[in-house]
Amino acid sequence: MDVDIPEETGQSSTHYSRRPQLVLVDDLRPFDLDGYISNYSGRTAVDRLIHIISICPALALEAFQLAVQHIHQSRDPSLYQQVLSAYDQVSAAGETPLPSALDLASLDTRWADETMAKNQAERSKLEVELKTYSNNMIKESIRMGHRDLGDFYRSVGEYPTALKHYTKSREFCTTSQHVLEMCLSVLELLIEQRNYSHLPTYVFKADAALDAASAAAANAKEGEGAASAAAPLLNKRKAVSEDRERVQSKLDFATALSSLASGNYQKAAYSFLKLGPAKDFGDWMGRLVAPGDIAVYGVLCALASLPRSALKTQILENSTFGVYVEQEPYVRELVEAYLSSNFKTVLELLNRYSSRHALDIYLAPHVGELTNMIRNWAVVLYFQPFASIKLERMSGAFGWTVEEVEEQVVQLIQDGSIHGRVDSQNKILYARQTDYRAELFARAIKAGRDIQATNRKVLLRMRLQQADLTIKAPKGYTSSIADLLQGE
Amino acid sequence: MAPDSLSLDRILGEITTTNNLSALNHTLKNGLPKESRETILSSPLASGQDPLSVLDLRQNTLGVLYILSARLHATNAPVGGDVITAFCRKFLPDQARHAPERVTILARGIVKFANAYQNSLWAVTPLRDLITRYPYDSSFLTTIHPLFLQTCIAASQPTAALPVLYSPISQISTGLSDLTYNDNLLYHYLGGIIFALLKKWAEAEEFFEICVTAPGAVPAALQLEALKKLRLVQLISRGEVAPLPKYAHSALPRIIKNSIYTDLINAYPQNSERLYSLLDKEKQTFATERNLGLVTQVIDRAPRWALKKLTATYVTLGLGDIARAVGIQSEDEVRALILSMIETGDISAQISALGTVTFSDPPPQFTREEVDSVLYSAQQQSDVLEELDREMARSKEFISKAVKGQDGGWGGPSQDEEMYAMSNAWAEESMFG
Repeated sequence: MDVDIPEETGQSSTHYSRRPQLVLVDDLRPFDLDGYISNYSGRTAVDRLIHIISICPALALEAFQLAVQHIHQSRDPSLYQQVLSAYDQVSAAGETPLPSALDLASLDTRWADETMAKNQAERSKLEVELKTYSNNMIKESIRMGHRDLGDFYRSVGEYPTALKHYTKSREFCTTSQHVLEMCLSVLELLIEQRNYSHLPTYVFKADAALDAASAAAANAKEGEGAASAAAPLLNKRKAVSEDRERVQSKLDFATALSSLASGNYQKAAYSFLKLGPAKDFGDWMGRLVAPGDIAVYGVLCALASLPRSALKTQILENSTFGVYVEQEPYVRELVEAYLSSNFKTVLELLNRYSSRHALDIYLAPHVGELTNMIRNWAVVLYFQPFASIKLERMSGAFGWTVEEVEEQVVQLIQDGSIHGRVDSQNKILYARQTDYRAELFARAIKAGRDIQATNRKVLLRMRLQQADLTIKAPKGYTSSIADLLQGE
Repeated sequence: MAPDSLSLDRILGEITTTNNLSALNHTLKNGLPKESRETILSSPLASGQDPLSVLDLRQNTLGVLYILSARLHATNAPVGGDVITAFCRKFLPDQARHAPERVTILARGIVKFANAYQNSLWAVTPLRDLITRYPYDSSFLTTIHPLFLQTCIAASQPTAALPVLYSPISQISTGLSDLTYNDNLLYHYLGGIIFALLKKWAEAEEFFEICVTAPGAVPAALQLEALKKLRLVQLISRGEVAPLPKYAHSALPRIIKNSIYTDLINAYPQNSERLYSLLDKEKQTFATERNLGLVTQVIDRAPRWALKKLTATYVTLGLGDIARAVGIQSEDEVRALILSMIETGDISAQISALGTVTFSDPPPQFTREEVDSVLYSAQQQSDVLEELDREMARSKEFISKAVKGQDGGWGGPSQDEEMYAMSNAWAEESMFG
């Protein structure tokens, strides 16, 4: 893992503030590529590897080899081109040239040709089938035809066509269960494609379908229930709600991702934290996301946006989410350190795992901002109980130099997060003392004066309108008069 | 009409003898043929005597007004400046109000007269007399107002306009003065300029704002100019711009959005490099729009606002640090700046011998008198509003509208009494509604 890269190790907070273009992996920030990628299967593994190749030169070589291996298990030879171009780009940009891609691993051309041929054959087969179904006008068959074609196109990486077929299948849905199935397929497709903007629409549609479906299912059970014994009925009811929960978890996950993508971290945090257990996800686990990822997303979003009490109840006392947290033990450390106000450890952990975060495809665009928010929150929380504090002590608590602390604090004061003022000479931070009585007086008097002035202006305006002295013709009035008068 | 009715002698006779002022006004206005009226009025008497010497400036206000205003615009009829001044000081407002359009002509004539002699300073006094004596009270806008301000500016006597400017306009009466929307725009625009000249920023802001927010279906060019100046004045007095009232014409902010003024606002006050480069590049434009002086003041004050922001963040700060943060090279300049800001009361701070500045913000103090005066003016305001409300409820427009709103087509002129009774009830209803 430790590939030597002659680049400076961007220490300290400045490293965080801008999103690193290239991610460094070294002793301080270890990253286990094999372990990481073994959590995934299918396309997402390759997608993730491409992401890693393009932003982390240190891992590019290894990731490239892994990617080629994974491609051989898929049905989409064109992925190789993407991997190759990402690799070439990074090796061209890097200071030390990486070994040529062709030397490392190349695509098995025979396999590629075979796969292409197989794909071609399957496509023709499916299209013919769909045509037959359409001719027969059997709705259900047409729907399945579209669905199969959608699945097929998705597996070969033609997302727009896949989406087209999925949405088309909607017209032939007869039950809400089918609509739900369609929505889930589209959601999976969108997530894989990292096209977040449409997620809420389909989540919404799926929600409606889900309600309808479970209502229908419950009704059906009622009907049967009359005949069957009480015990099985209960079982079946439970089965319905389990089914519902399973789907709900997927929907929640999609919502969470879209909130994350749009930068609404608080909403994302709540969505992540209420996800059901991993088994609910079925084949999404691994194909889209790993349990560890959920832990990381959830905790980072929560740390950045939720108050302490919520953190405690939602993460530490949440047994379902606890299972996810077990996957990434450092995340628990992070939360515990945060809750015990051990901010130095928090920041160290964040720094240590920054590469892990930046190499994640969903998290990567937000790492910088999330880290910033967590750090700012930490500073705000730390200062809260004090009326005044020496910056030295803060620097000890956060593991920064005094200058860094001052810079940080000043920034927070200026954006209004901390109500305080810095004694730059003696390096002390004072909480702001407000004389509420005086402030109230000042505000009331100012409001009174403002209202009077406004009244006067509005009254004049009213009079003007009453006298019909409104500005009418734009043509007859030119700026020449204005110029003339300004000249004086 | 007999030819002698057209001579000034005959008119003079009427002026001196009649007691019915509105009849006299009618004669003066309509009794003379349109084409030759001004000529007749500005001609001397048959005996070669000056008619003004015969008339009493006070008792015969209306007649003198006609003759004077006609003469001031005539090419061949000399008028003495003294007569004008004396008339403006002595005339009877009640008489003059019969002929508002002649008052306007007179005011314009005075300006013209002053311009002809290159002596704007002279015109200030008669116009001021006119402006203070002619309207019912100082809250009425007249056509004389913009002319007066223009004269004050031309005569470099901005302070002369202050007494007039300090009584805000709240009454408009087209019967008192033949106003156009332009008079209102001009008056407030010029008022803003005068206040800006005197560095009375808050007042300038208010005047420009009134000009910018004047009602209208389309924005006037003058409003745009006023908006530019308003923005600059706001930058000078507050360091940032305030949003325009909702009733401002929506096109105005749109027009200014793509101008250099918006660039200036965006870069203000921190980005001093950008400010200076903008000034260098656009100097010509600012100069042609006659805003260069304000822009320079805006940019000169940038460090003050940057410094003021620092006070919210720091308790103490070295002069060197301040210099760096504000973008000034030498510490001495910073010291001078801080001192001047302390003097003007913008900040409260102390500078120690070692060059450490300690900021403090004493809570705002109000004396009992201040609070009382604020309360008093609030009460007055509410009285004014109440009175207005009643006036509105009594007004013909409101009543007829209320009646229409309740029942279309109901109520004819013959049912006046009944309608009045009914609509009173409605008026009350809609007051609470």
